[in-house]
Amino acid sequence: MRKFKLFLDFEKEARWLNKMASEGYELVGRSFGYRFRKSKPDHANIKIDYRLFKKQADFVDYCTLFEDSGWEHLAGTKSSGAQYFKQVNKDADEDIFSDIDSKASRYKRLSQMYISLAMCYLPIFAALVTTNAINIDAFFNPKQLYFTPGLWDKTGADFWGAFLFETPFAFFRGFAWLAFPVMIALCLIFSYKAEQRYQKIKKK
Amino acid sequence: MKRDKHIPLTETVYYILLSLFEPAHGYLILQKVEELSNGQVRMAAGTLYGAIENLLKLKFIQPVESGDSRRKVYMITELGKDMLRLDLERMQHMIGITEDAFKRGGIS
Repeated sequence: MRKFKLFLDFEKEARWLNKMASEGYELVGRSFGYRFRKSKPDHANIKIDYRLFKKQADFVDYCTLFEDSGWEHLAGTKSSGAQYFKQVNKDADEDIFSDIDSKASRYKRLSQMYISLAMCYLPIFAALVTTNAINIDAFFNPKQLYFTPGLWDKTGADFWGAFLFETPFAFFRGFAWLAFPVMIALCLIFSYKAEQRYQKIKKK
Repeated sequence: MKRDKHIPLTETVYYILLSLFEPAHGYLILQKVEELSNGQVRMAAGTLYGAIENLLKLKFIQPVESGDSRRKVYMITELGKDMLRLDLERMQHMIGITEDAFKRGGIS
């Protein structure tokens, strides 16, 4: 089973995953949405870290340290960022962090990731602007986005058929570029929220 | 004398450095820190990983060759030893003046 959700709070995300586990859904992957496998209900203690790795050997070393300490690595890859762990040894510590600083700094890393993602979209958007690929006029006169010959002279079902058929194409032609500023704005908002959470936890 | 900005070391950093006079991998560091501190300092995996990363950046510890392909092994550097020594001197001074204060307080 796959589920799509967006969390900016690792604690909330972990609580949700624990709830899923208690209903018999075990997390097995996190590449495109959350992937679950049906298993028997389990009182799981799942914790989430946020880390990106340069080398595969670093990632393996990291996972091994957690496994040695009684935490099973459920999901996450070398460059996925979020790393999901489940407590498997009852004697292990209740958390994967033992101080406030390290608990908070995963939000710092999350915030930095969103900043760099925004920085990836920025030059694309800038290129669209500087090459005049963006037609602001289309907002006020969307008719020009329709290319079907004689479309506006048609009437009745004929008109609606042709109009509705072309609308998705026209929309894409006129407004696809909007995806870039929207993504940049979202990334910056998420980055800001993660940074705020970082500051808040540090102050505790 | 201007004090090094890394002094005083935190308790966890102090114990990690102390545990790396001999090469050790992550989990062994956790165990050694707990043992050296008489069970007072228990670090969790995520916290230790971040601490190791930071100490590598500061060059207080360095990775060393090991036969284990899944676990990286670390050891303290000369710079790390210098830091421990500086912090030891700081604490020795504190211990000295505190003992003196108690002695004087005890007589009067």
